[in-house]
Amino acid sequence: MAFVLALTRVQREPHGGGRCITDGQVRRAIDDTEAVARARGGDLDAYAVLVTRYTLRAHRAAFLLGAGEEADDVVQEAFVKAFRHLSGFRTDEAFGPWLLRIVVNETRNLTRSRRRRAALALRVGNMDPGAAAGDIPVDEVLAAERRARLVAAVNALPDKERRVLVCRYFLELSEAETARVLAWPLGSVKSRTSRALNRLRGLLVPEQETRVPSG
Amino acid sequence: MAERAGWRDAAESELRAAGRHLAVPPARDVAATVRQRLEGPPARRRPGWRAALAVAAAFLAVLIATPQGRAAIVHVFRFAGVELRQEPGPVRTPASRAAQPGGAALPGERRMSLAQARHRVSFPILVPSALGPPAEVVVSDGGRVVSLIYPRTPYGPLRMDEFAGQPDQIYFEKIVHAGDVTPVTVNGTKGLWIKGPHELMYLTPDGSPTVAPPRLTTGNTLLWGTPRVALRLEGDVGQAAALAIADSAR
Repeated sequence: MAFVLALTRVQREPHGGGRCITDGQVRRAIDDTEAVARARGGDLDAYAVLVTRYTLRAHRAAFLLGAGEEADDVVQEAFVKAFRHLSGFRTDEAFGPWLLRIVVNETRNLTRSRRRRAALALRVGNMDPGAAAGDIPVDEVLAAERRARLVAAVNALPDKERRVLVCRYFLELSEAETARVLAWPLGSVKSRTSRALNRLRGLLVPEQETRVPSG
Repeated sequence: MAERAGWRDAAESELRAAGRHLAVPPARDVAATVRQRLEGPPARRRPGWRAALAVAAAFLAVLIATPQGRAAIVHVFRFAGVELRQEPGPVRTPASRAAQPGGAALPGERRMSLAQARHRVSFPILVPSALGPPAEVVVSDGGRVVSLIYPRTPYGPLRMDEFAGQPDQIYFEKIVHAGDVTPVTVNGTKGLWIKGPHELMYLTPDGSPTVAPPRLTTGNTLLWGTPRVALRLEGDVGQAAALAIADSAR
């Protein structure tokens, strides 16, 4: 496992929030706003902090939205493009959703160029690879089965509905963030989420059980 | 209609729970490659091995040629939900800061019983049998982090922070001395042993540090993880004892 990913310089700045004074020397953690501001000025050290901080999130988004094995390449491409387009980043918005929008575009470019179905089937991971089957309590086994059914139903949804559910519940983005990331109006995020959840209900709940008993 | 709304709420929470169990392969570290590409000519898509070698050589030259302390260099990497920035030169304990485990607060700290905490968080809470039940259990930031507090152990006060395993988010940022980090093995998986105090800062889900200033950790820290939970053990404890405690966490 390689520990050295990037080299950055220590910040020695006179004053500011979130700092720790050690022995007269000021050390600061860089928050996103500062890292972006410095990266805009060409500071690759500051940008390395953002890359480290957001790699996992970007990778998860790319993978779950259909990049599959090429998720790492998508992430790399997205970080390079994001750096070159930092001038278009509004300082009053959050870096995460802005970056994820680029990740989504890159994922779409990839899946389009490969002319294949946008999303690969998602699946639930093994519960605990180290545990013997007998060690797992029965309620956990049942919960795992329920999750697997649910994920299979999500896989069966039309593309746009699946994407909105991935953003809202698997990436745990808010409605506003989802709108930003998918470049949809907020109203579309809301209506497609409702439609997707209704369709899931149809897929998961047998017909006779959905009828409301009368009387 | 009420039935339908109830179904929606239940579906939403089931979807979130399922999302935490999805199989996602580990992400490759792209920081070095991204940097290379940004430093190189923009037209080039991916530098070949010659370019990579040249860059590696350049890094090495910088490391050798730079006197310690003048133009300080840090490494940035992540491990088990923790972003580590390595700096040369020791981190000294500031006299003004009362350094004790459990020092600076995490956002939204709530004390509760272990059983209550188990209902509040999405990951299994591991308790080291070597230490027994904790004196205090603190759930922070709406269930994102659980801290087990042991004020009295044979090693003095100890603290164990736990958060969801294989996280796609960074929970803590640590600023550590370059020579203080050693890879170790805990229960057959990779762990990191960080010797000596270092600055620790909690990062919110959007990646920004919390308002509270970074706190200085006490003693040493062990970082490790299982497939579902990432852990850090902190206190004035030696490496062998820390590994034994970690091995006993169930």
